[in-house]
Amino acid sequence: MLSEIITPDLFAAAVRLATPIALTAVGASICERSGVVNIALEGLMLVGAFGGTIVALLTGSVWLGVAAAVLASLLFASLHAVASINLRSDQVVSGTAINILAIGVTGFLIEMIFGRPGNVGLSDNIMAEQVVGHPVRIVTTIQPVFDFPVGGTGALAVIWRWVDTIFFSYTPIVYVGIFLAVFLTWALFKTRWGLRLRALGEHPRAADTVGIHVLRGRWVAVLISGAMAGLAGANLSLEQVGGFSDSMTNGRGFIALAANIAGRWIPGGGYIASLLFGFVDALQLKLQLFSDVINIPPQFFLMLPYVLTVVVLAGVVGRAVAPAAVGKPYKERG
Amino acid sequence: MADNGSNRKDPKSRHDLADRLSPEDREKRALRDKASIDRVLRILTPFASVAIAMMIGSLFILASGHSPALAFSALFQGAFGSQRAIGETLLRSTPLILTGLALAYGFRSGLFNIGAEGQLYLGGLAAAFVGVLVGGLPWFIAVPTILLSAFAAGAAWAFIPGLMKARIGANEVITTMMFSYIGRYLVSYLIYGPLSDKSGIPQTAQLPPNSILPRLNTLLPFLQPTRAHTGILIAIVVAVVVWLVLKYTTLGYEARAVGFNPLASQAGGISVSSTIIKSLCISGGLAGLAGAVEVMGVYGRLFDTFSSGFGFTGIAVALLAKNNPIGVVAAAILFGALSAGAGTMQLEANVSQKVIAIIQAIIIFLVAAETIVTWLVDRSRKKKAVAPVAV
Repeated sequence: MLSEIITPDLFAAAVRLATPIALTAVGASICERSGVVNIALEGLMLVGAFGGTIVALLTGSVWLGVAAAVLASLLFASLHAVASINLRSDQVVSGTAINILAIGVTGFLIEMIFGRPGNVGLSDNIMAEQVVGHPVRIVTTIQPVFDFPVGGTGALAVIWRWVDTIFFSYTPIVYVGIFLAVFLTWALFKTRWGLRLRALGEHPRAADTVGIHVLRGRWVAVLISGAMAGLAGANLSLEQVGGFSDSMTNGRGFIALAANIAGRWIPGGGYIASLLFGFVDALQLKLQLFSDVINIPPQFFLMLPYVLTVVVLAGVVGRAVAPAAVGKPYKERG
Repeated sequence: MADNGSNRKDPKSRHDLADRLSPEDREKRALRDKASIDRVLRILTPFASVAIAMMIGSLFILASGHSPALAFSALFQGAFGSQRAIGETLLRSTPLILTGLALAYGFRSGLFNIGAEGQLYLGGLAAAFVGVLVGGLPWFIAVPTILLSAFAAGAAWAFIPGLMKARIGANEVITTMMFSYIGRYLVSYLIYGPLSDKSGIPQTAQLPPNSILPRLNTLLPFLQPTRAHTGILIAIVVAVVVWLVLKYTTLGYEARAVGFNPLASQAGGISVSSTIIKSLCISGGLAGLAGAVEVMGVYGRLFDTFSSGFGFTGIAVALLAKNNPIGVVAAAILFGALSAGAGTMQLEANVSQKVIAIIQAIIIFLVAAETIVTWLVDRSRKKKAVAPVAV
C-alpha cells in the first residue's frame, strides 16, 4: 500500500496544493517586513479567484482572467493600505473587515450576475447570457506548461517519469510562484529597495529620518502582497478547481500567514514552509482514497492541515523573531 | 479654534484672550479641545459608521438594479414590522450578544479571538451532549449544568491558543482560526458518527424538555407566540455580569490592564501570561454559551450548519459597541435585525442577502478607521493653526 501512496503524483500534488498558500506566504513576508500585518490575504485570494473566473467566462481568455484576478485583489489590497497605512486603523481589524467584505461582495455579485447563489464553473453558462447581456464563453482550465513524452520501460524511464511528474507537470502560475519566491528573496536581502523595506518594518522612525518614504514603501509592500494573493486566487480558480465557489479559499490565507512565520519572514522560507502544508494536504487527500483500509473518518484527514499549522506555530514561533514594528501604524513627520 | 469659555459670543475678546495665552496654555487648551472632540466622536462614530455603511450598501442594491428604499423598508418590516418579526430579531440577536461579548472581552484584554465560531461549535456540542444526559433532572439544575459545560467546552477550545500566545507569543488570530476549522470538523465527525441520532440525517438526538429553553411567550403569556426564547434573557444577564467583571473585579482589572499595556502590567505585578490565558478562555467560554443557547433555544439539537457565522458577526458587534458589554447588547440587536430582515428583503425587494455581509464589513472598516473622522478634523484644524506644535 505504501508504494501506492508514495508516488511521484503525491509530490506533484503537494507542490500544486502548496502553490496558493506559497504565493500568499511570499507576499505576506514582503508585507510584514514593511511593518504591515495583512490578515486580509484570505479575502484577497477570494476576490482574486472570483475576478479571475468571471473575467475568464466573459472574455473567453483565461489570461485576461489571471490579469483580472490580480487587479481585483490589488483593488481590495488598496483598501487595506488606505485603512492601515494612511488612516492608521488597527491592521488586524481592517484585514478582518476586508475578509468579510470579500465574502459579501463575491456572493452578492454572483447572485447579481447569474441570478442565483452558488458555484460558477468555468464552462458554466447558466442564465448569464440574459443577465449580463454578454455571451459567456466556454473556457477550460489553464493547462500544464510542458508535455514531454513519458513512455517506455526500464529504470531510466521510471526515473524520468518521477522527474517529469515532480518538475515538469505544472501549470504556469506554479512556475511563476517559484520564480517570484526566489526573486523576492533576492530583492528583499540583496537590493537597496529590500534594505529600505526591511528598515520600515524594524524602525520606521529611523527610516523616515534618513529620508525613506515610510508610507509609500508600505503601500508598495501591501500592493505586492495583494498581487501575490491575486495570483494565488487565479491559481486556485483557473488552474486547480476550474471555477469559483463561496469561501473556496477555506483558510488558506491564514495558513499562509503561519507559513510566513514558519519561514521566518523570508519569502523563500515561506515558500518552503508552504510545501509542508501542501504535502500534508496531498497526503490526506490520498489517504482518503484508502478509507476502506485505513478506517479513519474523513473529517480527521480534513483537519490535518489546520492541526499542522498549530503544531508548526508551536514549534517555530518562540524562535522566530517578527519585524519589530509589525502591526504598528506609523505617522510620518510632516 | 473652538472655545468653550465664557467669551463665546464676542469674537473680538475671544481673539484677545487667545493672544494673551502663553504657548503652554494654548497647548493645554488644544489638548482639552481635542479630548472633548474625541469624546463626542467616540459616541458618534458608531452611528455614523452604520449610516455610511447603509449608504454604500444602497449603492450595491442600486447597481444590482433594485430599489434601496424598497429593500430597506422590506428589511425594516422583516425586522420590526410585527411581533413575529421582532421575535425573529431577538432570536438572532441572542447568540450575537454572547459572541459579541466574547470578542469584546478578548479585545479588552488585547486579544483578537477571531475563532469564536469554533468555540461556539464546541459549546453547542457540549450542550447537545450534556443536555441529553441531564434531561432527567429538574430544569433549574439541568439548564445551568448545560450552560456551564458549554462555557467550559468553549473555554477549553480557546485554552491551547491562549497557552501558545502566553508562552511563545503565537498570534492568536492564526491559532484560534485554525482551532475553529478543527472544531468544525470535529463536530462534523461526531454528528455523523458517535453522537448521531441514527436517523440518517447528520444531527444529534433531540434534547429532553427539561434541557430546552422555553419560548419567551410561555414565560410572558401576553406576548404573541414567536420563535424568540428565554436565551435572550440569559444573554442580557451575561452581558451585565461581563460588565461587572470588567469594571469591578481584579480579574477584569487585570484583563484591561494587560490589554492596555502589557509591559506596564507586568511591571505592576500582574502575570501577563496567566491573564492572557484566562482572558482567552473566558472569551471562548462566552462564545461557547452562544452555541448552547442556539442548541437549547432554537433547534433542540446540534447539526452541521447550526450557526450562520455568529462567531464572525460577533467581531462586528464588539467593534461597533466599542467593546462595551452593554453596548454589545444594542449592537447585537442591530445585527440581529439586519439578519432577520434580510429574508424579507430578499423576498419582497429581490435583493441578495449578501448585502448584509457587505454592510457589516463596511461598519467594521469604518469603526476601525475612526481616524477618517478625526483625520478630517485634524486637517481642517492644521490649516487654521498658526504655529506648528513640536512633537
